[in-house]
Amino acid sequence: MRTTERTRFGLVLMIVMAMILAACGEDSSDTTEAADDEPTATTAAPADDTPSEDTTEDTTAATEAPSGDPIVIGSTLALTGFLSPTAAIHRVAGELFVEQLNESGGLLGRPVEWLVLDDESAPDQAAALYERLITEDEVDLIIGPYGTGTITAGMAVAQRYGYVFPQHTGSLTYAFNYECQFPAWPTGRYPNLTNPNLVYDALESTGTPPETIGFVINQFPGTVFVAEGYADGEGDDLTGAVQIAEERGYEVVLNVQFPSNISDWGPIAAQVRDADPDFLYVGALGVDGPNLIAAMDALDYRPAGMFFQWPAPGPLLGANAEGAMSVTAFEAHPPFTDNAEYAAVAEAFSEAAAEAGIPYTAMETQASASWAAWEILINGVEGAGSLDNGEICDYLVNNEIETIFGGVDFDADQSNYYGDLSFVKQIQDGDWWVVYPEEFAAPGRTMQYSPEG
Amino acid sequence: MNASLLSQSIASGILVGGLYALMALGMSLNWGVLKIINLAHFSFILLSAYVTYQLASVYGWDPFLAIIVTVPLFGLGGMALQWAFERFRISEFESLLLTFGLFIIFESLATSVWSADFRRIDSAANPYASSSITIGSISLSIPTLSAFVLAIGIAFGTRYLLDQTHFGRAVRALAHDREIAGAFGVDHRKVSMQLAGLAGAYAALAGVFIAMSSSLFPGIAVEWFGIVFSVVILGGLGSTMGTLLAGVIIGTVGAIATVVWGPSTAPLVVFLILIATLLFKPDGLLGAKGGV
Repeated sequence: MRTTERTRFGLVLMIVMAMILAACGEDSSDTTEAADDEPTATTAAPADDTPSEDTTEDTTAATEAPSGDPIVIGSTLALTGFLSPTAAIHRVAGELFVEQLNESGGLLGRPVEWLVLDDESAPDQAAALYERLITEDEVDLIIGPYGTGTITAGMAVAQRYGYVFPQHTGSLTYAFNYECQFPAWPTGRYPNLTNPNLVYDALESTGTPPETIGFVINQFPGTVFVAEGYADGEGDDLTGAVQIAEERGYEVVLNVQFPSNISDWGPIAAQVRDADPDFLYVGALGVDGPNLIAAMDALDYRPAGMFFQWPAPGPLLGANAEGAMSVTAFEAHPPFTDNAEYAAVAEAFSEAAAEAGIPYTAMETQASASWAAWEILINGVEGAGSLDNGEICDYLVNNEIETIFGGVDFDADQSNYYGDLSFVKQIQDGDWWVVYPEEFAAPGRTMQYSPEG
Repeated sequence: MNASLLSQSIASGILVGGLYALMALGMSLNWGVLKIINLAHFSFILLSAYVTYQLASVYGWDPFLAIIVTVPLFGLGGMALQWAFERFRISEFESLLLTFGLFIIFESLATSVWSADFRRIDSAANPYASSSITIGSISLSIPTLSAFVLAIGIAFGTRYLLDQTHFGRAVRALAHDREIAGAFGVDHRKVSMQLAGLAGAYAALAGVFIAMSSSLFPGIAVEWFGIVFSVVILGGLGSTMGTLLAGVIIGTVGAIATVVWGPSTAPLVVFLILIATLLFKPDGLLGAKGGV
């Protein structure tokens, strides 16, 4: 009897310890106040070579500290689960933005708090948590999460309560028709047309475009949409990268779709080698690219050119993928950093990301889209001079909003999308550089491609 | 589809099946002999992969050499866990709950140390990832070929250990009836810990090869559940040869399904085979005699 009691006690003790440790291990507890009201030394100091250093310091010194009750902005983020690697970037960007916002006087003279809940990468969880943020926590404003599924779920809740919903990187552009959703990621309403055309234009700009092309597409809805359009849609939604390639006269020699949780890349690599396309278009997410490259390397095969839709940029660099291409909206090099303010932001983000343990610290699409989402929300509030979501929505729809991507004019007829501001980037000399269009290319960089490899 | 593509895919499938078997062997022993459904086994694989990543990427070690650190480390980890299971007399069902908690803790630990971001050993530090042996038109990747060869060695070696040694007889006695084995002088705690140590070491080996061949992030361990449990159940609990065979079958069938019907059909075909096996051979591919 005594042994049984001791056993039970031990078991309970272990379970309790497990739970406590799990809770401590996740530094993403249930709710996180991302805002740090204490001014810190890590504020966005402008880059050393920027001319505005003195001006900024003066401005900061002259700014009155925010006062009064904090304005609470609620959101969820995938702090755990399969989206968490990328969501970590959005967390760093958001924390940095709020920190800088508070140090520059706050919002409407009041401090800002960011209340973040962990949606565990699950859309149903995100929906429930946005409901909670609005009805129980009674946050003043909300901002979107990371991940198309969670964004879609959160947007439905925002629509029900009439909240303005800036969202970072939702890819189902055809599905987002809430009039107060504001996309930060500048893909345009039809990335299924604009993205492939941009890439093919870039290839043709070399004078030696591919004759054959292969497609390997993740079955994630966003990548399938860009590759093949939205089958249930109408008009411009019905076509994508595959059909556009055919229209341009490229011979499609391979078209394979794979599930997101694929564990064996060998057979797909074998299919690519067998088809031997001049150019491989990979509708890739995360580490699909490095995994496919490793599998092709194991077969001693590489196509002459490769494009990856939305890769994790760091691991792709480490995969010895010289010449690989992708699309981006911002890179931390000129001309994107010609604006001193954003050069300083990129530098501050890089430092904060390094501090947070993120391996690839350069500010690129994810971080810049996150930054833009915050800019949209804050500019909307300041423009409206109010926390009334209806007024903020009206202001955003009817005025040009300044963001890291430049002036943004939301087009209500296009579900608030405003054109595709994507650029082609390429790995050259072991780093990412924008190479196309020419006017946005990094100094001294040009698109490198030949079907001969 | 030409013969070259099909033969390459089958070869890739067989090799990756070896890696599946390596991942599943320790789990099968834990479950079949010790009656512990040890989800922390997945954590050991994950942490071993991260340790390999750390040693190769940060300290410049040859990834293969990581074995000399990870095998003893996670072997001891397995023994320590088994000591706790014995100490608190954890039942089979309780082990599932408890090790799930441990799995969450270890995943959080990996997130704390290596962040949630993707990690991959750079190609400069891991030349094996892109190396292969070519036979005719078939290329065999070095990491998966190594894992396959090792899995065969371990499966046969463990079978020999269980059949031909005093330790093996003690393990088999333990698997049949712990109390009676104890009455005949089998120190069940010591034998259990040794076997759990072995299972931990197998997990460590699997982790090394995973680090060499794929990208890492803490959530990846969850993605292994389906494949590893399929291999364990298809192979039969505690059956080393059955586990090896099941790994190869699942790898090969998955590869063939991928090239014939498309990658998304591979899990469907694998789980159909699993269901059929459960219906017609519930003790696993090699039946009851394949077990311990």
